[in-house]
Amino acid sequence: MREEIFLGNGAIALGLVEAGCQVLTSYPGTPSSEILPEVVRLVKSEGLNTYVEWSTNEKVALDNAFAAAIAGKRAACCMKQVGLNVAADSLMSAAYIGTTGALVIISCDDPGPHSSQTEQDTRFMARLAKVPVFDPSNPQEAREMVKLAMDISEEFMIPVILRPAIRVCHARQNLSWAPVKNNDRKAHFEKDPARWAATPRFRLVLHGELNKKLKKIGQRFEGLTNHNFHDLDVGKKYPFGIIAGGVPYAVVCDIFNEEKRVDIPVFKVGTPYPFPEGPAEEFVSQCEKVLVIEETDTLIEYLLRDKTKVMGRLSGHVPAQGELVPKVVYDLINDVLAGLHLDPFTGVKDKDAFDLVKDLGLPVRKPTLCPGCPHRASFYAIRKARPKAIFTSDIGCYTLGLNLGAVDTCLDMGAGITMASGFYHAFGQDEIEQPIVATIGDSTFFHSGTAGLLNAVYNGARFVLVILDNLTTAMTGMQPTPALGIRADGSRGKAISIERVVSGCGVDFVEVVDPYDTKEMTKLVKKAAEYTIAPDGGIAVIIARHPCVIAYREEAVPKKKKVTVTEDCVECNFCLERFECPALYKDDELGRTAVNQALCIGCGVCLDVCPKGAIVEV
Amino acid sequence: MKTANFILSGLGGQGVLFLTKVLAQAAVNKGFSVMGAETHGMAQRGGSVVSHLRVGDVGSSLVMAGSAHYVLALEENEAYRNIPFLAKAGGLYANARQNRFPRQEVGPYLKKMGIVCRSLPAGEMAMELDAPMSLNLALLGFFSSFGEGPVSHKDLSETIEQITPNRFKAINLKVFDAGFQRGVKEQSGE
Repeated sequence: MREEIFLGNGAIALGLVEAGCQVLTSYPGTPSSEILPEVVRLVKSEGLNTYVEWSTNEKVALDNAFAAAIAGKRAACCMKQVGLNVAADSLMSAAYIGTTGALVIISCDDPGPHSSQTEQDTRFMARLAKVPVFDPSNPQEAREMVKLAMDISEEFMIPVILRPAIRVCHARQNLSWAPVKNNDRKAHFEKDPARWAATPRFRLVLHGELNKKLKKIGQRFEGLTNHNFHDLDVGKKYPFGIIAGGVPYAVVCDIFNEEKRVDIPVFKVGTPYPFPEGPAEEFVSQCEKVLVIEETDTLIEYLLRDKTKVMGRLSGHVPAQGELVPKVVYDLINDVLAGLHLDPFTGVKDKDAFDLVKDLGLPVRKPTLCPGCPHRASFYAIRKARPKAIFTSDIGCYTLGLNLGAVDTCLDMGAGITMASGFYHAFGQDEIEQPIVATIGDSTFFHSGTAGLLNAVYNGARFVLVILDNLTTAMTGMQPTPALGIRADGSRGKAISIERVVSGCGVDFVEVVDPYDTKEMTKLVKKAAEYTIAPDGGIAVIIARHPCVIAYREEAVPKKKKVTVTEDCVECNFCLERFECPALYKDDELGRTAVNQALCIGCGVCLDVCPKGAIVEV
Repeated sequence: MKTANFILSGLGGQGVLFLTKVLAQAAVNKGFSVMGAETHGMAQRGGSVVSHLRVGDVGSSLVMAGSAHYVLALEENEAYRNIPFLAKAGGLYANARQNRFPRQEVGPYLKKMGIVCRSLPAGEMAMELDAPMSLNLALLGFFSSFGEGPVSHKDLSETIEQITPNRFKAINLKVFDAGFQRGVKEQSGE
């Protein structure tokens, strides 16, 4: 046995290979991104032959894994919670059809949200699709649940979801583990069109089968005492009990241990759907009041039959949004204890420190593009060329272009393009010529850009689209894109040319530029804009290509330029507001803008930015 | 063992994650269980980086406000920002100049809570040793000189040796030791 500190996503990866997962597909997204690389690490160290791929999006990933699972393999697919929206079409249908091997979908939730556009709760997606869901409280439990989920999936021939929240994915915990063996099960596909290609008439039959499976799985879950359990004495009455799942369960346990509280029973729900009705009824019947603490929404609260005793989000006892961090859980339980005239907690309930820190005027550190980021150069040029445009953008690092006033919208993956065409037609209907510049990243373009671009071309929309190609998927941790021709395990794949894809979508104006040359790029954006209003024009696409400075350090800035700000600076703040580089700051002692040399990476892009020419090379 | 709660904070690129890794590995080497929490993704782009590390048998990865035994901050403002995490009689260790740390406004609160406040110009020390990237270990060495927490100076030193890539091993240990010596000197009243 080896003892090693694993990231939560590493523990999930370990669980996957231990469960004999043969096929793993994924699209990166925080907090799920490290699962696949950790599997790759284990595949290499243990000499496994697991097939691993970064798919172009979550739906593509799920379809691929599903095919493996109906060829009898043990397959898994991982993504972030909003990625499951993209894969929802696949999920809903796969639930009816079922599997012959195993299919485990790992969808990672982000209460907070820390790095997502919503706080949506994957457990509700499981309920909607009618598939079982596991909700782990820590990395070790996630690891165990992956294996259990594989077994349940295979036994009942149904996709199963594991829903780890960010505090499981990005927790670190020491785990002991033994060498892992390869799973040599061979692919086998038995033709059965009534099932694999079911028409609506057969879908009704499949729905009936699914309902039967769920009933049986529900019974199985009731006996799953490692993950669904309570600590009340049977027959005894309690004034108050807590029902909790996932990360909040771990928080509640820590608080009760710290406070030495043994008077309040706790029911842990590790499988919120199908809901373990029996143990839940037993628990609720012995408590006068029950508080439900779950993330992120109200699944358990909805599924409890007897609502007369229940307190939670619906009754206002638990905050309806935001992460349930320990202090929040502590305070909310304490408030409930006070309301029920039970002994309060004994720890300090001191809010002075928060007020103290609030009054210190500490620097607000909002998310910012890195010094030297090529997106900053692109946004600067775009805004300079088309100051009056509507700037539709997308999901990725470059959403932070909003700091430069060059991003007006961010809806979902691919919406930089689809909203641009939407705006075009909305204004076009009123015969208004509204300039529009859309931005989308390289990976996001492959994820869901093409359908929107085809649609925009076909329906005659006109706008400038800038594809911000930094040769990586930066925000989620530098995963390769299809344009690089490098696959998830580092092996060679076929590189896909963005230019050719864009041309293939029917776009006739496609130009490539290095955004570090902001003058050239500004010119090009103007030229592209003219094309969008020319009689025989259309959509103009610019590919702004420069490597990410984090992923490619040396290559990204081959010739470092040392820059400084001269006395010509008139403190107009133009560079601070419109270029917003973290290495430029206002030096109160000097009375002008200055360069923080520790942060500056010497890209030299700012040399063209100052209206007074006060930023110069040393 | 009673649980020990750490908050490790700083700015992106200062080595908060490596600092966390050293402490966690040292604890595991001693046979303790660890649970920690990290920052990734969009939240990482902001500049403030916070790691939680809990040594002992615990369920959740986050340290509750008011219950950290130690806050190690690689930047002065990040030290102040994390004061609400500190428990009574906790220790605040910061990379800051000694003559101006802590700011006056926080003095009464720290005193009321019995929080011990110690600072070291870790950034300058690391810079002098030509290893600005190792300032995290200067502060860790300093911390280790006070004999606080579940792992000793020796445990930490061995762990740095164990997990540092070869080419940085000598310099990391040198910076760690410089921080340690400064702490020892401070305690002998020099």
